[in-house]
Parts: sequence; structure tokens; C-alpha cells
Amino acid sequence: MTRKSRRLWLVVACMIGLGSAAALTLNAFSSNIVFFMAPSQVHAKPPPADRTIRLGGMVVAGSVHREKVKDSPVNLFDVTDGQAAVTVRYEGILPDLFREGQSVVAVGTVNPDGTFRASEVLAKHDETYMPKEVAEELRRSGKWDPRFGKAPDAASWNTMTAADTPKKPATQTPDGN
Amino acid sequence: MNATQSLTARTGNLFHRYANPGRFLRMGAKLQPWLTWPALVLSIAGIVWGLFFSPADWQQGDSVRIMYVHVPTAWLASSGYMGLAVCSLLSLVWRHPLADLAAVEIGPVGASITAVCLATGSLWGKPMWGTWWVWDARLTSVLVLFFLYLGHIALIRAFDEPQRGYRAAAILGLAGAVDLPIIKFSVQWWNTLHQPDSITVTGAPTMSTSMLWPLGLTTLGFTLGFGAIVLARLRASVMESRIRTILAANRGRQSANPAPKPDSAAV
Amino acid sequence: MTHLPYILAAYGLTLGVATVLSVNAAIRLRTARKRLAAIEQPRTRQPS
Repeated sequence: MTRKSRRLWLVVACMIGLGSAAALTLNAFSSNIVFFMAPSQVHAKPPPADRTIRLGGMVVAGSVHREKVKDSPVNLFDVTDGQAAVTVRYEGILPDLFREGQSVVAVGTVNPDGTFRASEVLAKHDETYMPKEVAEELRRSGKWDPRFGKAPDAASWNTMTAADTPKKPATQTPDGN
Repeated sequence: MNATQSLTARTGNLFHRYANPGRFLRMGAKLQPWLTWPALVLSIAGIVWGLFFSPADWQQGDSVRIMYVHVPTAWLASSGYMGLAVCSLLSLVWRHPLADLAAVEIGPVGASITAVCLATGSLWGKPMWGTWWVWDARLTSVLVLFFLYLGHIALIRAFDEPQRGYRAAAILGLAGAVDLPIIKFSVQWWNTLHQPDSITVTGAPTMSTSMLWPLGLTTLGFTLGFGAIVLARLRASVMESRIRTILAANRGRQSANPAPKPDSAAV
Repeated sequence: MTHLPYILAAYGLTLGVATVLSVNAAIRLRTARKRLAAIEQPRTRQPS
């Protein structure tokens, strides 16, 4: 074995050792790396009232109520992960992306009655990027309602984008009226 | 064992052909315009397309245009470090002199790009998520990558004897490569505020083609630009080391010569 | 355009960093090339 190949195998061995050490460490701490808890996890094991947690999930369609208490807006909405729902109460201005059907992460504490008091609400957008006109077209044709779940496969509406681009003014006129 | 021996020897020979500084400078000068000009044209085209001609996103509005600079810098932050790790391997195993110089030059460029990636991500996160920064797995692992770059920059310049700096920095460069898969898969392994990748090797992209085109242009343009800047710095670095060698040789001749000529003393 | 300040800041920062890196690399390359040319010429004339 030459010195070069000895060095190569030494480096390979070190990388394997380091890689498995990192993998084991991350695996052991994975519950701490997780950014938020799901509503079903909160239901199953409610955290103590003084512990700040992050609650993540989708805003249930039709559950958003806005009130005004002493000039500050109070928002009430349900967050679900499909199995359980938690009612969130948040005083303050919601981010631009907040809407029904949107994924959100709320930071706060769980009240004894099971509701969630949020001190901060972050909007989480998904990995789907599509032009406004396409989203409106999908909604109008009934192929997709953003309040209930993810957008359809991009392949199904990409051809639509290409076909729609030349007659963009035509599709916009009914909107303007 | 015989096979590995010949493999390392053969690959070593292949790499060392480009270790000849004269040959590298000739090839680098030829390659430079092929990187610089396409990089400029593609980047400008992609930026103009992304800023003025691509559609606004249905939920993010115009802020989606930040993607056309954020995603290429994120990709380059990781691939730049991949390049650094390859240089580290060449340095540790084959003691390749050019790989050491390349590692010195990739570090600052990669660190700047990673800083831009973090800053543009922050500028995108504030209006969309509602926060400049969160400690989720994706953002934290990229911040770790930034610190790895800074550590590499400091370490490779920390020793009076450059060879020791090269060895130490190469070990850091290889060890830090563990962070790359963590960055890549962080959005799949753990739930994060950062969304999963829109463009994957296996699946169809979840992005409109009208946005995919400018993104592809800026990604290709920035990547070529990264290559052009690193190549220019590396060429300068090889020339600088040649200058140092010549000056040292001249000084050596001077001290060996009892009566130096006045014109060579001026050099 | 919505969110214009954020978009301008992101593009401005990217272009600024790109410009600094490119100009710095170009100047360094030019200086090194000139110095090397200046040093190498008298040396080739010297009998070794």
C-alpha cells in the first residue's frame, strides 16, 4: 500500500466515523430539532401551562373569527393536522400570508382548558409556486380550493399557463367587470 | 490492494498534470472568457426576466421575486463548500499544491455567497413568514455552514508555515462536509418553517414554468460567475506565488554573490 | 409591486456583493499579471 492510498483510506474511515457520529447525535436529539408540535401531539401529551411551545398545522376553513378588544385585534382560529384541532387565540396583526387553509406556526402556551394562547403567529408557505391568474383559473373552474388542501400537480396546470399567456387580457377583463 | 494502488497512482498522475503552474495559467487564461461572459449574460437576463417579466405568485405576490437571487446563492453556498471539500481531499491524500491554493480562494467567495443567501432569505422571511429569523433546522444548518466557511478562512491563514495551515484547514473542510446532507435533507427529516424543495431530482417541480425559466437562468449564471471569480482569484494566486519564488531566487543570488550588481539590487 | 423595499434590498445586496467580488478579483489578477511580466522579463535576459 502506498502512502497515498493509506491516506485515502484513513480519510474515508474518518469520514465514515464522523458521519455516523453526526447521524446518531441528530437522531438522538431529533425531538429538539423539530420546529413545532402538531395538534394531535398536544392533545395526546399536553405540555405544562408555563412551557412555551410552537404549534404547527393548517388553519381550519371557516374557523377564523376576528374581534376587537380595546383597539387591539383578537384573532381566534382552529389549527389542525387532520387528526385533532386546537383553538388558537392571538392578539395582534397576523402576517400577510395568513388565510384559511394556510399552514401556520403559533408560538405560545397551552391553557388548562386546552386552548392555545399565541404570542406570535408565523405563516408557513408550501413549495408550490404559481401565477395569480392560474390560481384564480383553478379556483373558478372548481379544480382546487386553496382553503382545503394542497394545489394540484404542477404538470396539470403548467400547460394551462402556456395556453393562457397569449390571451391574458381576455381572462382579465371578466375579472375587472 | 493492487487495484487501489494503481487507482490512486493513476488519479494522482491525472491531477498532477494540472499542478504545473505554467500549464494551469495557460489553460486558465483560455477558460476565463468562457466563464465570465456567459455568466454576465445569463445573470443579467435572468434578473431582468425575474424582476419584470415573470408573474407574481398567487399567495406571495411580488416578494416571490426574491427567490431568483435567494435560491441560486443557496445552491452555490452548498456547492461551493462541496468544491472546498474536494480540494481538501486532494490536499490531504494527493498533497496537490493547486488544490491548496484553490481552497484558499474558494473560502472567502463561498462565505460571501452564504452571507447573501442568509440575508436574502431573511428579507424574504420577514414579509412572508412574519419573522426575520427562526431557529429551524434548515436556517440553523446554513448558519453553521457560514461559520464553517469563516473557520476555514481563519485556519488556512493562521500558520506562519503555509503547509500546516493547508493541512489543518483541509481537515476542517472535510469534516464540515457532514453539514451538506443535513442542509439538503433538513426540510424532509424534521418539520421546519422553511418549505420543502420545489425542484427535486426524482419528482416534477411544483413550480410554474414561467418562474422556473428565470430561476434556471440566474442559477446557471451565478454558478458560472462563481467559477469565473474563483478561477480569476486562483490565477492571480498562482502568479503571486511565482512572483514570490522569483524574488526569493533573486535575493538568494544576491546574498550568494559578494558584490551584487546595482541593477539587480533595484529589482 | 408589493413588498418593494424587501425586493430592492435583496437584489441590491446580491448585486453589490457580486460586484465587489468580481472587481476585486479582476484588479488582483491584473496587478499580479503586470508584476509577473515586469519581473520575468529581466530574468529571461540574464544568463543563468
